[in-house]
Amino acid sequence: MHQATLGQRLDLVARRAVPVGITLFLLLFSVTPLHIPGLATVGPMYTLIAVYFWSVYRPDGLGYGAAFAIGVTEDLIVGTPLGSTALLLLLCQWVVFHRQRFFNGRPFLEVWLAFAVIAFGAGILRWMCIGLITSGNFPAAGDLLGTVMLTVMLYPVIGWLLARAQMKLMVQP
Amino acid sequence: MRQATGQITRLGTLKTLLQRFAFGSLIVLTFALMLIGKAETVLVERARIAVTDAVVPILRALSEPANVIAHGISNIRELAAIREQNADLRENNERLLQWQSIAQKLEAENRSLKALLALVPEPTASFVSARVVGDTGGTFAQSILISAGASDGVKKGNVVMTGEGLVGRVTQAGARSARVLLITDINSRIPVLVGEAANRAILAGDNGLRPRLLYVGAKTVVAPGDKVTTSGDAEAFPPGLPVGRVARIEDGIIEIEPYVTRDRLEHVRVVDFGLAGILPTPETPREAKK
Repeated sequence: MHQATLGQRLDLVARRAVPVGITLFLLLFSVTPLHIPGLATVGPMYTLIAVYFWSVYRPDGLGYGAAFAIGVTEDLIVGTPLGSTALLLLLCQWVVFHRQRFFNGRPFLEVWLAFAVIAFGAGILRWMCIGLITSGNFPAAGDLLGTVMLTVMLYPVIGWLLARAQMKLMVQP
Repeated sequence: MRQATGQITRLGTLKTLLQRFAFGSLIVLTFALMLIGKAETVLVERARIAVTDAVVPILRALSEPANVIAHGISNIRELAAIREQNADLRENNERLLQWQSIAQKLEAENRSLKALLALVPEPTASFVSARVVGDTGGTFAQSILISAGASDGVKKGNVVMTGEGLVGRVTQAGARSARVLLITDINSRIPVLVGEAANRAILAGDNGLRPRLLYVGAKTVVAPGDKVTTSGDAEAFPPGLPVGRVARIEDGIIEIEPYVTRDRLEHVRVVDFGLAGILPTPETPREAKK
């Protein structure tokens, strides 16, 4: 048996941590004030994009436990009801894992369309969670639609960046 | 090599099985968390404080380049309008100088009248300035994170303002950071006075840009442009803080345009008016303040 050196092991651990690390970075980026007029009430769901991307292209990179932890962290930082984001990230991942055959080798456009459906469902789920937990105060529906559309529109950009990161950081030389 | 591949496959199968089990238990856990969170336990608050305190230094570093870019853009914009602005400012200055003399006269008069009445002065408010390092603004929550906490004197319940008007309230104070619930948040309810007649109402956020007025009296007449200020009821806010003005009235829904420009929120003032408020903390129960 070939024994890996300490350096190689560390390298492997670092590579495995890439999906979670990048998703957490996106989470922090999403709460950075960007001072863009008109974006105060529509915040794209960056972590949903990342979790979906890794679930489709690197299912081994980010498991249910990691998705749950990322969701709970987001709820704690953003101030959304605790557990609500974790729930939708888990469900997104479950859908992708259960339709792995559908996603295998699909062209980008179809993967993007599937994401649009998932983002729409996730938006409604999160909206309902907040409404039910705050005893019937539902956020403005127009803003929800804006948030979902912005998330879908950002998918190609974030997806491209994640794909670059995956090529650079995760593929063994 | 083959042995190693076999091991990996077996490990893979085991991992899949574990994942299936994990999924079920994690879903149950999310619902449990939602129930615990709804009860607003001290534990959840402590967890939020701990995580916020931990990420605020990173957010401070991340927000620096964003601020520089935003400043650059606004500088260029202002440069284009500088001539017009200058004329406006000169005009404003003249008008304000007149007001200043009036204010000085009134202040002197006020002082002498207070002396005549032997009025006990109101406790003076103390304040801390803080930088906005996180904006969780979106459809699902409307709060900001600031880079000042309990170590700087920020307390839960403090009022947060800018020169323009009311921003919100501190709902969570960590050691070096604090969370401010904006007046636009879905959980925000503020007792206010509307218009010249100072009618009472409640300002309620819906995570959108414009909060709404609730519980407006049936005979109350509200018109677009009416000013909205805090009423001081429930001891959460002192009376008279500027909040915004009535922007639109449609189908009985009264929308308020806050004075504070959200996307330009960079620094805020955290003011301690010494109010007991409606947000009792475990450390300072309401009874103790009474």
